[in-house]
Amino acid sequence: MERTQLKNISISGSGTSSGGEFNQVKVNGSAHIYGDLICEEFKCNGSAHLEGNITTDTAKINGSTHFEGDVEVKEMTINGSTDIDGHLLCDELKVQGSSSIKGDVKGKEIIVRGSASVQGNVSSDEVDVKGQIKIKGDCEAESFEARGNFKIDGLLNAGTIDVELLRHCEAKEIGGENITVKKTRDASGFKKLIKFFMSNHTDQLTAEVIEGDYLYLEHTHAEVVRGNTIEIGPGCDIKRIEYKTSLEIDQNAKVGTQEKI
Amino acid sequence: MENLISKKDLLEEANISYGQLYRWKRKNLIPENWFIRKSTFTGQETFFPKDDILLRIEKIKTLKDDLSLDELADMFSPSPTLTSLAAEELTKRNIVSHTAVEMYNNFHGPTHSFSFNQLLTLYVLNSLLQTGDVNRTEGVDLLKLFDEHAQSTKNSESELIFIRKMGVSFFILTPEPANLLLEPQAKKIAHYKLSQCMEELKLKLS
Repeated sequence: MERTQLKNISISGSGTSSGGEFNQVKVNGSAHIYGDLICEEFKCNGSAHLEGNITTDTAKINGSTHFEGDVEVKEMTINGSTDIDGHLLCDELKVQGSSSIKGDVKGKEIIVRGSASVQGNVSSDEVDVKGQIKIKGDCEAESFEARGNFKIDGLLNAGTIDVELLRHCEAKEIGGENITVKKTRDASGFKKLIKFFMSNHTDQLTAEVIEGDYLYLEHTHAEVVRGNTIEIGPGCDIKRIEYKTSLEIDQNAKVGTQEKI
Repeated sequence: MENLISKKDLLEEANISYGQLYRWKRKNLIPENWFIRKSTFTGQETFFPKDDILLRIEKIKTLKDDLSLDELADMFSPSPTLTSLAAEELTKRNIVSHTAVEMYNNFHGPTHSFSFNQLLTLYVLNSLLQTGDVNRTEGVDLLKLFDEHAQSTKNSESELIFIRKMGVSFFILTPEPANLLLEPQAKKIAHYKLSQCMEELKLKLS
């Protein structure tokens, strides 16, 4: 089909649409769309409610949007708040506001600068979190970078895992090649302020099992840590360590049993 | 109970690292349901079906220099890679024998192009004929079975078992994993996992 013949729709004020195929869909007030939507560009500056699925090249949400179906998009930017009841399939996802997704998230690049919560699994080449992410399922990525707070109820599986702790981070299991967990070093004024209000939260990572080739851990509480080359930094509390090549333990760390395999 | 191997023993026996295992899991080279969690005295441990995982890792290790991890994932996935193949191609590329194709044609009528599922049927028939496990009439029984239960072979997670007792033979098609207990006189002649047949077939086709 010739794409150039497609029409644009713009809903300013309050309006409804039955969905369909468009070039550009723009919402400046409040819109309710009853069917599926296929378009090149979806932009919402107010509030939108879509009852069907959406397939689009770009989606930009500056207000609040609720998608009841699946979302398939190349580039998605969320500056406001977004709820997705289905799955999200994207190339690039940028969450600067807040988003909550009931299904799975599949992408190439996922950037979270605000807060995101996913009920399903997350899989992406890259996951970069500076803020907060909550995942009820598993999280798979080639590179997982977090400067903030995360909670993963399943397995965090990534080639490179790079974590700078802020408050209480949690994953049931962690596995990968290179795993680095550090406490945030730069205590900027803002962070100090956050800490002042959240004084009961210490920077800490909790996991049941951590397995990898090269591990550097600080302030990590785990039942079992297994790997080839392991370095245990300050503040760790680990019940059991199994290592293959080498193990170094900081004097301010607490380790139960250790075994060379 | 199936023979299980702990993750620790697996890494040692297959000589791979945690990182490799996790990477292969990420790339879907190792199916999720092979990761079996159990409580032990050291806490939660992961176990694998021993024969399956060792075979799979052996395959990954030998093939990973020639194929990318994504190509490998396609090979191991239960979905078919190609849609159809011409009849001449089959015998020319030595994927299945002429006899097998002939038997298939006798049963179904002349076929010029085979879908992936038809290919799988042909492939299984061919292997059984080649090993001498079944004769021609039993081969036709197999074709009948696959024809009637085309839906259950489609999702590949099934096993084919061929049993003979005092000269009477029959096929059983059952979901994986099959645990059959046989009476002493009954002999299990052949036991095929369709998912493995599919992998072999994909490898031959690529």
